[in-house]
This record gives sequence, structure tokens and C-alpha cells, in this order.
Amino acid sequence: MKKQYAMVIDLQKCVGCGACAIACKSENNTQMRQDGQSFNWADFQHEVKGKFPDMTHTSRPVLCNHCSNAPCVEACPVTPKAMFKTDDGITMHNDERCIGCRQCQKACPYSQETVEIGQWSVISFNKAAKDTHAFYRDPSELIMAGTASGAEMARRTHSIPPYRTKYSHPEFEDVRRSGIVEKCIFCDHRVKKGELPFCVEACPSGARVFGDTQDSSSEAAKLLKKHKAEVLKAKAGTNPNVYYIRSFKVKT
Amino acid sequence: MKIKRRDFLKVSAAAGAVATLGIPKLNAFAEGEMKKDLGTAKGEWMPTTCQGCTTWCPAEVFVQDGRAVKVKGNRHSKQNDGFLCPKGPISLQQLYDPDRVKVPMKRTNRKKGRGIDPKFVPISWDEALDTIAEKMMKLRKAGEPEKFMVMRGRYTYMRDTIYAALPKVFGSPNGISHSASCAEAEKFGSYFTHGYWSYRDYDLDNTKYVLIWGADPLSSNRMIPATIKRFGDVLDRATVAVVDPKLNTSASKAQEWLPVIPGTDGALASAIAHEILVSGLWSREFVGDFKKGKNLFKKGKTVDESAFEEKHTNGLVKWWNIELKDKDASWAEKITGIDDKQIKRIAKGMGKAAPNVCVWMGPGAAMHVRGAYSAMAVEALAGLMGSIDHKGGSMGTSTIPVNKIPEYGKYQDELAKKHSKMQKIDQRGYLELPALKKGKSGGGVVTNNVASAMLAKDPYDIKVAIGYMNNFVFSNTGAQIWEKALEKLPFFAHVTTHASEMTQYADIVIPSTITMFEKLGYVKAKANGYATCTLVQPVVKPLWDVRADETEVVWDLALKLKEKGFANLDDYLRKEYKDPETGMEPTNGLEFAEYNLKIQTAPLWDGKKDVGGDKINGWQAFLARGMWNSSKYKHKARWGKFKTKTHKFEFYSETLKEALEKHAKKHHTDVDGVMKVTNYTARGELCFVPHYEPPFRHGDEKNYPFVFIDYKSRLNREGRSANAPWYQEFKHVDIGDVGWDDVLKINPSDAKKLGIKDGDMVKLTSVTGTYKLKAKLWEGVRPGCVTKCYGQGHWAYGNVAAKDYKKAIARGVNNNEIMPFDIERLSGSTVRNGGFTGIRVEKA
Repeated sequence: MKKQYAMVIDLQKCVGCGACAIACKSENNTQMRQDGQSFNWADFQHEVKGKFPDMTHTSRPVLCNHCSNAPCVEACPVTPKAMFKTDDGITMHNDERCIGCRQCQKACPYSQETVEIGQWSVISFNKAAKDTHAFYRDPSELIMAGTASGAEMARRTHSIPPYRTKYSHPEFEDVRRSGIVEKCIFCDHRVKKGELPFCVEACPSGARVFGDTQDSSSEAAKLLKKHKAEVLKAKAGTNPNVYYIRSFKVKT
Repeated sequence: MKIKRRDFLKVSAAAGAVATLGIPKLNAFAEGEMKKDLGTAKGEWMPTTCQGCTTWCPAEVFVQDGRAVKVKGNRHSKQNDGFLCPKGPISLQQLYDPDRVKVPMKRTNRKKGRGIDPKFVPISWDEALDTIAEKMMKLRKAGEPEKFMVMRGRYTYMRDTIYAALPKVFGSPNGISHSASCAEAEKFGSYFTHGYWSYRDYDLDNTKYVLIWGADPLSSNRMIPATIKRFGDVLDRATVAVVDPKLNTSASKAQEWLPVIPGTDGALASAIAHEILVSGLWSREFVGDFKKGKNLFKKGKTVDESAFEEKHTNGLVKWWNIELKDKDASWAEKITGIDDKQIKRIAKGMGKAAPNVCVWMGPGAAMHVRGAYSAMAVEALAGLMGSIDHKGGSMGTSTIPVNKIPEYGKYQDELAKKHSKMQKIDQRGYLELPALKKGKSGGGVVTNNVASAMLAKDPYDIKVAIGYMNNFVFSNTGAQIWEKALEKLPFFAHVTTHASEMTQYADIVIPSTITMFEKLGYVKAKANGYATCTLVQPVVKPLWDVRADETEVVWDLALKLKEKGFANLDDYLRKEYKDPETGMEPTNGLEFAEYNLKIQTAPLWDGKKDVGGDKINGWQAFLARGMWNSSKYKHKARWGKFKTKTHKFEFYSETLKEALEKHAKKHHTDVDGVMKVTNYTARGELCFVPHYEPPFRHGDEKNYPFVFIDYKSRLNREGRSANAPWYQEFKHVDIGDVGWDDVLKINPSDAKKLGIKDGDMVKLTSVTGTYKLKAKLWEGVRPGCVTKCYGQGHWAYGNVAAKDYKKAIARGVNNNEIMPFDIERLSGSTVRNGGFTGIRVEKA
């Protein structure tokens, strides 16, 4: 049987701390928010219900849903497609073939072409004809000759960003070029080596469980069997492979 | 010639219409260019320690080509199970912060003040150290070395040469720590009930009830990753109740939230104790029982002390008679705003789960103007539950068998001996500042009083000061007083990684290493029942000519002092810090750091004695592994030998009575006299039991109808991460907050009355001044209160933390400017909680 990689997120275990999302930025070298794009492959959405003191707050980790029926793949006009499904169910992006048309971003119900602070989008676009990671290209110094600058940090470390985690993958680059889209690829450069996506490894709560839902012995499949799971925007018919079980506030 | 697709794309991008042009052609190049290699490039996980909070997690850093690229918990660690919280990864942007100070600097503008450009210019290390040594030597020549001060913020345990040996050998008593900014009132609570002046650990694996009080351990406070890992399962197994006037993360997940009116914690604790006692739910094993077995605790009834036989406790009936007998749940409801049914439910729930109850007391319960007794009252609940040191309860700490630094007494000359014994600048031990650390009058630091004392020149004036890893101008309440004190300080050298607020007042700036990545040292930590000794190590080479504050800088300064005729410190460092393995004397700062570390940690790796815990075979093995775990803390380890006067858990604190009486006697007064000048309302016997004190508030209710609630960001790294873009981007993980901003949270019902809408700018006024902020309507805050997370409001530090560094324009407002200066005087603790800041809110 073909694999279907998925992420099951246990909201009772999740404490909304952000370790996964920040670890993702260090693993995948995503740039800082700019030009209306968040570049957060992992992020959080928050929801408040009720009134003081009978209220609930929910923090929900979000990432690419790696949909089985992925509108972004359908929308990709390139042949073969730059956005495509792998045999193990990952919604993959090929950086070389991408032409930066952003049709995927428009088609994805979890993405937006422009995001404000507080908003989030699965797919972000690296603006064309503009170097990425502007923060580490800025030559300005806080105190002349007394402090460094972004550009000097990059020169000294021979690296943009300076904390760039170098990795290789046939489909995607560890730092993306301008003029293409990017999104979570389930850390396939790690998964193919038998490692977990870095957000899973970095999560201190054990809330993120990655695995093959077609393998009934996997932890992910077991959790889905045990608990009723939710997906985001189920009505959109995208058949997401990111599932949420239990609730952020313990059920009493 | 092969056309590369990227080249083609550049052309088509320039031509525009990328989406429609040339797609079939592009695809012609699609195959045959797949790279063959796959996976993470070569690198190495190297051990160090995260000092983003006081959990001090053993960590590992992945290093590629000499660069730190990602972090995780140390795989060997039993205190964090190999995980870090979000403060871990943010550290990378601290290390590679473009705004880091990279060279020594001096100010060229003599005028000092907020918003005045110091006009820093780079200088050599030699000039920087020479200037500091010159200023210091002037003091010795004038016979006033006590006017030299070292201020320390965060530290590693390499601290004692810069903090103790340097001033003492030089001739000053003034090593001033930051400790009272954090937790001294909290430690007071545990010390004067069960003789423990420290943070507690909690046995979450075996608990059945967790009462979290004035803390959010999923975000800050103690053992954060260990708590995060267990919390989801604890919620299945146990009841979690959280006392906090604003919703925190723990409360948002818990079964019970008790949004207490700020400052009334003591009343709530007394009522819970009352309900536990009248319901007969105290621990018989720990507390004992009535001799005739019948519960005589009835509301309003005095009990005969001889009717009760105590086991491991002292003074239960006295406490009942003096404080508790009338204070039931309905009494507390009117004071605390917590429904009496909920109070009874908590008391019953705890009682039924006893003794497997964690009473998790945090700063919110303690750091009030009158918080010493509420800290005791909350901790006393753990006594009633018999859960101190019990399975499923709170724990002390296993010992970490390391050595102290070598004795420096014989390197003190007459001047140093005499002057280093003078009264310290913080006025600890004055009548109105008992600071009773471990029961001793003036035993503890009163950090936040230093600025006022400097301005008052009482006991004397400070002329030369060095600060390291601290930012007191930002991190102390009543921050404006620190601004004034540092404006007037004649000479200040700041050893720092960033041009912080405090640095703006520096005459000399010394660029420091980043502790997690570039420095050699160790810390003694504990969490989850394990004590750990964990190393901080230079996992990468510093990018700039920066040096380690606690070791290299001291070494270099000692050399300079020697050049100027004062060789004692240099002698001490050379002669006393020989490599314990080879006997070699250190010849430079790096060797001094290494030998110093070896001397202190030797018992853990030299194999001379079995010290328990991990067995580590030699120095190299210790470096490679990066840490040592103790064996697991033994339950009931302190039963029968608490370090109190009675060796019991004291509901009636003989230990406090003795301490207060000694302090009073020293000042020729009585305990009531001490209570009066320390702003407490208790008199007589009430002074010796945990009890409710009405909250003290700056700003009357008429003019300042709201109270302010301060709390910590889960991303703060103790105030060192606000210049990291990731901190700003993910600020919204502090619940109710928004990214890249600093919002004042107000309940929608209050906002409606004031005509304030979400996102409006508001004017917020406290007794310290008026500030403008963006309002966020938030159901998670009790009406009548407004709340804001501490962390933003930097007007220096860098161009991410501040809106405009050059113009000293802050991003938001520093909570420590909104909150006025005050001190919980019995412990010396800075006041941050307990509703002591009255606030007026108006639409801007």
C-alpha cells in the first residue's frame, strides 16, 4: 500500500509555546516576514470563546495540510508540476520548476496572497528580483564601527542566514531563491533519512505525531483510531493530512 | 550550450508575465537536473546550556562549518528529557544579532541621560581595561575602595571571582546581585515555613492535584520543558487549578481557574486552609491529629492547643486561632472575588488528593508590597497536605558536589580587609530593610534599593561601578530611578553583548561573549527531581574580539591593576587557580577559565570519590557529555530535619519570630516597630503566622481605578531576546498578545465603558507617569485590571527591540516604568505583583 504521511496534533498536549515554529525557522532557514508574506511554515492560530471568567482560549499549531486532494497541486500550471504529490503523500514543491506564478497560493484555502501581522498562510512567495533575507544584507550599523550589521554577520559566517542549516534534497533548496513560492515540505530531507520533521523533534510536549496513516501500527494511525479528529476547513474538500485530536482546554 | 533554467527565469521575470510566458519551454529543462545527495550536511551536536530562564536546561547545539544552526535539549539530561522550550531556538538570533557590540568602546559625550547619544567610539582592549583600572586605583589611593561596585545580572557559577573575589580583594563589600528582582519573597515563603531558601521542584509524574499559584510554568518560572512534557498527561490524571487574575497558558488548559483580585492571595490561601481544616482533610501522616480523634476545627471556635498532637509540623492550632478560625470561603469571596463554592471545591479536591498535591507557588503569590505572608500562606497549604517532599508533591534538591572557589582572604591587604566589611550600598539590614535571607538581618540583597541608595549617597557614594550581564535600567521597577542614579554615577563600565538601556550610561563598554555559545562555565540547576551540573561551552568561535565576562575580563583587569601597582588580585588568580590535573599556573584568561572550571567541578569527574548520580570518567568525558545528573531526589528527605528552628514545618514560625526579634533588637525596637516601618499591618502574634495582609497600592482607587498586572513573556530569555526578530514575530504565543507589538489588555466590559475599541491607542497613567499604548480587548483579564506582558518597551538594545535606537524611541512601554519602585522589605524582594500599581486608562 502507498504511504500517506500525516501529522496528528494532540491539542491537550500542545501548550502553544511556539518551539515547533521557531525550530522550523532554524531548520528550514525561512526568511523574516516581509512584503506581506510570513514565511512561517509553521505557526499558530488563536481563538477565544466565551466571557470572563467562563472563557476558553485555544492555540492551534498550523502548517501545510499536505492535502490528499490538494488545490495547490491542481492549480500549478507547470508540466511536470512544480507543486505535486509524492508517493508517500507529501505535497512537495520543486524549487527549480517553480515559475513563481502564485496560482498555488491563490488556490490553497489555507493560504493568502498577502498577510497582515497576526495572519498566516501555508504558502509564502519570495518576491521576484529581490534578494531574500534582507535582514542579513543590511549594511547599516547601530553604532558606527562599534556594532556589527546584518551584512557583516553574513560575511563573517559566509552564510545567509548566519544560522543556515545546510541540507540537500532533489526537489528543494535549504534557502530558497527569489521569485518562487515556498512552504512546509514535512522536512522530507530528514524523513527520507529516517528522521522526524524538525518541528516534531523540537516539540517539548509530544503533541506532534508524524507517521504513515496507512500503517495501522504507526502511532499516528493509532491516535486517529482512538480519538475523533478534526481537520481545518473540512468543507473545502481538500482531505487534509494534518489532524487535531482532543482540545486545548481539558474537557471536564 | 546548456541554458540554465534560472537564467531563463531571470529573463522572463524581467519581461514580466512569468505566469503565462514560456511554460512549455521551461518544462523542457525539467528533467535530468535532480541533485543526487540528500539530507542534512555534515555537522556536530555539541553540548552547552540554555540560560534563557532559571531552569538552565542542558542543551545541545548543532554546529556546521563552525556556525551554530539549531538547538535541542541535551540527550543525557533527566531534568528536561532532552527538550527545550521556545526560548531555546531564539538564542540563535541572539548569537547572530547584527546589533551585537563587537569591540570595546568609550563614550565621547560626557553628558549622560536617556535619549542623549553617548557618541560611543571603538577603542582597544588595552585602553578600555586601562581606563577602568585607573579609575579603580584612584579609589584605593584615596582610601575609599568601598566606593567600587560590581553589579551582576544573570551569571554562571564562574561568577565568584568577578562578583566576590574582585571587590573583596580590592576592598569593597559591593558585589550586588540581581537576585531580589526575581524571587526573594517567594523563597521567604518556603524558608519561614520549612527552612528552604530556594525554588521547589514538583513531582508531576505522580501528582493527583496541582495548585499553581501566581505562576505559569508552561511559559516561565521553573522546570519549563519538563512541565510542558507532562502537562497533557497530568490533565488526564489530576486536577489542575490555577490562581492568576489573568488567564495564563496553564489556566487556559486547566480544570479550574481562580482569577483572584490582585493582592488578595493571602485571603484565598487562608480560606482554603480554613476549609481544609473544618473538613478534616489535612494529612494525618504529616500534620498529626486531635488526640481524641474528633475534629474540633469549627468556624469561629478557638481550639485548645493541647488537644492536638502534631507530627512533623509546629503550631497548627496557634495558626488556626490567630488567623484561620473566622476566615471561611464566604469571608474570602468578598475579598478575593472568587466564588465561595469554588474555594470549597478546591479545598476538598486538594484534601482528597492529599498527599499527592503539588502546591506550586510562584512570584504572583509573593512579590507584593506585603507579600511575605501570602507566600507563607500558600506554602503552608503544602504543609497541610503533607505534600512537602512527598511523592506527587513538591521537592527540595539533591546536592551538587562541586567545590567553592579558592580562598582569597590572604590576598586582601589591610585596606581591603577593613573596607570590604563595610555596610553594602543596598542598605540591607537597615531597620526598614530587614532582608531576612535565611533568617539573618541584612542577609540578602535588596537589588532595587541600590539606585535610591546611590542617589541618597547613603551609606556613601559609589564612584566606580562595573555591571555584567545585567540591564538594571530596564529590569527593575521604577526604572526611572535607575536612569537618574546612573546619570549621576561618575564612572560606569558595562560588560555586555548589546548596547542596552544600561549601556547608554556607560563610560566604557566591554563586549562580552554570549553565554550559551561562546563562554566556558557551568551552572547548578535542578528540575523534575534531578539536580544537574551543566556546562556552558564555547561551541563556536566568537565572531568578534569579545571576551567572557566572569573569567577573561577579570583576568585582564587583574593584570592591569598589577601594572598600576596592585598585584593582589593577579597573584590570587595565578597562584590559586592551578590546573588540578597538571598543577600548571594559568598564563592567560582562557586558561584561567578552564582551570577554574576544573577546580570547581572536579568531584564530578575526577573519580576520587563516589558522589552519586552519573559516573563520568575524566575531564574530557565531562566536556563531551556536557553535564552530570544527580540521582533522583529522595521523597521525605527532609522530614524530621527541616532547617527551621523546630526542625518541623512551621505553621507558627519560630524561625521567623527569632529572625524578626533579632532584627528588632539590633535596631533597639520591637517586632511591631519593624512591622510598622516595613509597611505591614500585622502586630503581635500575627507576625509569626501565614496570614492575609490587605494589598498596598500606589495610586488611590478614585484617581487610578484599575490595577496593573505584570507577567513574563515565554520568549523573554530573561530580557535578552527582544532584539531577535523571531521574538517579535512569535510574540502572539504569549496568549492574548500580538506580533511585533506591545498591547495593553483590557476586559471588553471595561473597554466598553471607556469607549475603547480593539486596537485603539490609549493613555495609561500610573503614579510614575502617562504612557501611550495600543489596547487589546481580551476576555482573559479580570474586569478592573489591565495587564501587559513584560519584555517590550526597549528604547535601546538594538533596532528590532527599539522602534528607533538612535532616537531612543521604544517599541511599546517597559512595564518597569509603569510600575513604581517598591520593595517587599522583609525579604528585600522587588515588588511586581499584588495589585500595587493603580492605573487610569483613557482613550488617547
